[in-house]
Amino acid sequence: MIQTTEESRNGWQIVSVAGRADSEAASALETALRSAVEGNSRVAADFSALTYISSAGLRSVVQAARAAQARQSEFVICSVNPMVRKVFDVSGLDKFIKIHGELPC
Amino acid sequence: MLEEAVLLAVDEESGGLRATRPYGAAYALVGAVFFDLALAHRIDTDTDAIQILDCSPTSSPTLDRVLSIMSQLGHSPSVRDWIEQIYYRREDLEGEALASLISQGILRHEKSRRFWVIDVERFPVLDNHLQRDVRQRVVDAILSDTIPDTRDIMLVSIAEPCGLLGYLLTDAQLAGRRERIQALCKFETISRKVADAINDLERTLHHGAQRFV
Repeated sequence: MIQTTEESRNGWQIVSVAGRADSEAASALETALRSAVEGNSRVAADFSALTYISSAGLRSVVQAARAAQARQSEFVICSVNPMVRKVFDVSGLDKFIKIHGELPC
Repeated sequence: MLEEAVLLAVDEESGGLRATRPYGAAYALVGAVFFDLALAHRIDTDTDAIQILDCSPTSSPTLDRVLSIMSQLGHSPSVRDWIEQIYYRREDLEGEALASLISQGILRHEKSRRFWVIDVERFPVLDNHLQRDVRQRVVDAILSDTIPDTRDIMLVSIAEPCGLLGYLLTDAQLAGRRERIQALCKFETISRKVADAINDLERTLHHGAQRFV
């Protein structure tokens, strides 16, 4: 299960994601991220409380980033914990999506 | 994905199935079935493992049969065990995908004899719209700098190890986009696991054959 919350800060829409982004939660994750991307030109996904991500979760993130690119919106992932960061590194997600150490605002 | 993988391998002119690597077609079929199961939310993967999530029926008898085989292997089979079981059924998978494409009017089945004794099967393309679409998606995923659709990432990671990209892109294009292709192939755990297992199988079969020579 995941929980998502949103807040606006200095021109950025911050989507904070907590929990496990597995197959069961992938659809909810994609919906939350896409919704933020469709309504805002700068979106940062705060993954500091995301404890696990599976391939289904990764695909959701890619689809949201793809939607942002189509709208020419900025989309970044921030504050990834080491376990999730390892998955990002193995999959080479940083080849497609900007990953920051900290929130941009 | 299974039908799309087969369409990538069908030569539009000769109607034959092609792969430039001995076990390339097997890799494509096994990878495609795993991707279909993932897209149907029946399996999921992390960096190390593939897990069965749900054994309820899908809309595909082929996927249901593969899922049943996987679930019968016990509580903690290795990915290699699953891949091996599916690998040994690769001809069934290919046959079912071809039958489906024939029933949709996309391919035609032709059987002839060469030198009076050798049966030759061909699958000429009747309606090339789907095949062109699949090929174009692969080409666009590689040549563009945009983030590809996840299905297209899967297609590239199926086509590359089979040597099918050489039929879609020039040598110069492939050389120029090598880094992008590697990134796309690396993204999915299924691609990495299936490639490792098929390489392992190739080595085992090769060593086995050498012992009988």
